[in-house]
Amino acid sequence: MDLVDFVQSITDGLLFGATYALIGIGFTMIFGVMHKINLAYAATSIAGAYVSWAVGTLLPLPALVTFVVAAIGGGIVGYLVYLCCFKFIPVTSPLATLLGTVGMLILIDEIIVHETNGMPQPYPALFDDVYFEIGEFYGIRGDLLFIFFLSLIATAILLYILYRTKLGIATRAVAQQPVAAQLCGISIERTNASTFVITGLLGGLAGAMIGASVGVLSPLLTLPITIKGLIVTVIGGLGSIPGAIIAGLLVGAFENFFQALRGVTERDMYVMLLLFAFLTFRPGGIFSKTTSRD
Amino acid sequence: MDFYYGLLQIIGMHTILGLSAYIVLLTGQVTLAQAGFFAIGAYIAGMLTVLAGWHLVPSMLVAAVVSGTVACLVGFPALRIKGLMLVVATMAFGEAVRLFWFNFDYQRSKGEALVGPLGGEGFKQIRYFPENGWTTGEVATFVWIWVALIMAALWWIDRSRAGAVLRAVGEDELAAQSVGINLTAVKVTAFAVGGFIAGIGGAIYAHYTTHIEHSNFGVILATFAIAYPILGGLTNVVGTLLAVIFIQGFLVEGLRFLGDWRNLLFGALIVLAMNVRPRGLIDERAMLFLRRMFGLAKRGTNA
Repeated sequence: MDLVDFVQSITDGLLFGATYALIGIGFTMIFGVMHKINLAYAATSIAGAYVSWAVGTLLPLPALVTFVVAAIGGGIVGYLVYLCCFKFIPVTSPLATLLGTVGMLILIDEIIVHETNGMPQPYPALFDDVYFEIGEFYGIRGDLLFIFFLSLIATAILLYILYRTKLGIATRAVAQQPVAAQLCGISIERTNASTFVITGLLGGLAGAMIGASVGVLSPLLTLPITIKGLIVTVIGGLGSIPGAIIAGLLVGAFENFFQALRGVTERDMYVMLLLFAFLTFRPGGIFSKTTSRD
Repeated sequence: MDFYYGLLQIIGMHTILGLSAYIVLLTGQVTLAQAGFFAIGAYIAGMLTVLAGWHLVPSMLVAAVVSGTVACLVGFPALRIKGLMLVVATMAFGEAVRLFWFNFDYQRSKGEALVGPLGGEGFKQIRYFPENGWTTGEVATFVWIWVALIMAALWWIDRSRAGAVLRAVGEDELAAQSVGINLTAVKVTAFAVGGFIAGIGGAIYAHYTTHIEHSNFGVILATFAIAYPILGGLTNVVGTLLAVIFIQGFLVEGLRFLGDWRNLLFGALIVLAMNVRPRGLIDERAMLFLRRMFGLAKRGTNA
C-alpha cells in the first residue's frame, strides 16, 4: 500500500467518521443527562431515515428536505423511546431500562422489516456526482464532503443550544447535579424528554447521512451502528461531546484505513483493539473527567 | 414428538446461557460477553469431538474450562471499569471473539471430506449425536441433566455464604468493600464461573445444530443472555428458567401462528414486561408470596 492509498483511505474515513461522531454525541448526551444507556439510539436514527424515505415515496421531496424530515422523524421516535423505556420505569431499576431499550431496538427493527418486507431501500444521495480532484492522485467524494459539513453545522447548532440557551443550561444543570437542578425549579422529566427529542433530531440526521453515503437503507445497519456509536462514546469519554466528535472521526479514519490494509472481514477487529487499547491505557476516554461516575 | 424434544433442547440451552449471565449480574455487572464464551465453547468442543474424535462429555468440560480461563483473563482488565464502560468493553470482547472465528481456518481431511472450522462458511458437520445414534429424546434428557446440575449448583451457591458475598457486591460495592470483601476477586470469580457455564452451553449448542458459524454468536445472542435473568428477576435461578420458557417457548414458538406479527410483538412485549415488572417476573415480593403460599416462611418475615 503506497502513500496515495493511505492518505485517500484516511480522508474518506475521516469524512464518514462525521456520522459516527453524531451518533456518539447522542449516546453521550443521554448518558450525561440520565446516567443511563439508550441502546435503542442507533435504531432511532435509522428509523428517522426510514421516516424520510417513507415520506419521500409518498411525495417527491428535494434531497435537502429529506434530511430535515429524517431529523424530525428521529426526534419523534426519540420521544417515543423515552416514553416506552424511561418515563415509567423507576430509577432504581437500571437493568429494566437497559433491557427495555433492547426491546425497543428489536421492535423498531422489526417494524422496519415489516413495512419494507426486509428489502434494503435506495436512499437519495446528495452531490454524489461531484468529485474534487486534488493534484494528480487525490480526490474527495462530494457526497462525503457534504455529509461532513452538514454534521459540522449540526454539531455547531447543538453546542449553541447547550451553551447559549435556557434549555441548554437546564440540560447541563440536570447532567451535573439533578437534585440541585430540581431545587432551582428545573423539571427533570421535561429536561430528560427534551434531551431525547434533541438527540433524536441529531440521530435522524445521522441516519439520513448514513443512508445517503451508503446509498441504501437497511435494518441490518442498526446493530453495527449501535456498536460503533458505543465505542465512540467510550473512546471519547462518557458525557463528553468534544470527545465524541474526535473519537468519531478517529474511529472512522481508523476503520477505513484498516479496511484498505487488511480487508473488510478483519476491519472491525482492529476497531475493537483500538477500544481495548483505550480501556487499558486511558479508561476514562480522551476527555476523561477527574471524578468519574459510572 | 420430535418437535417438543427439539423445543426442550432449545429451552435447555438458552437456560444455560441465561444462567451464565445470571451469576455475573448478581455482582451488579452487566456483561455482553456471554455470546463470546458461548462461541468459544461451541468451537472448542466441536473441534475436539470432530477433529480429535473425543467423547462428548470430556470435550464439553475442556471447552468449558477454556472459556472459563479466557473469562478469567479478560475479567482482570475488564472488571476494573463498570457501568456503560463495562457493557461496551464486554460487547467489544464478544465481537472480537466472533470476528476471530470469522477469520479462523483449521481444516483436516476426515474420510473423503474436509472438516473443521472454515472462516465465514462456519464449522459444518458436527455430527456427534447422529453418528452415535442418539435419539432426540436422549439428547433432550442429556441437555436437561446439565441444566439441572447447573441450576442446582447455582441454587446452592445462592444459599451459601458465597451467594451472600456476590449479592453484597451487587447491592452496594462500597459497603461490601468496607466489610473486607475483595471486589476484584469476587467479580473475576463470578465472571469466570459465568464463562465456564457459557462454555458448556456453547458446547451443547454446537452439537445440537451440527453447523455453527460466526453470525450465530453476535450481539443479539449476548443481549438475550442478559435478557433472561433480568426479565426473570435476579432473586432466584427459577426466574431465568421462567423467562426462557416465556421467550423461547411462548414468544418464539407459541406465537408462530401470528406469522410476521410475532416479531413485532416480541420487542413490544419485552418493553411492556419491563414497564410492568421492572424487577423481573419473579421479584422479592413474588418470592415472599410464593413462600407464604407453601408455608415456607412465617408471616411477617421479610423474604
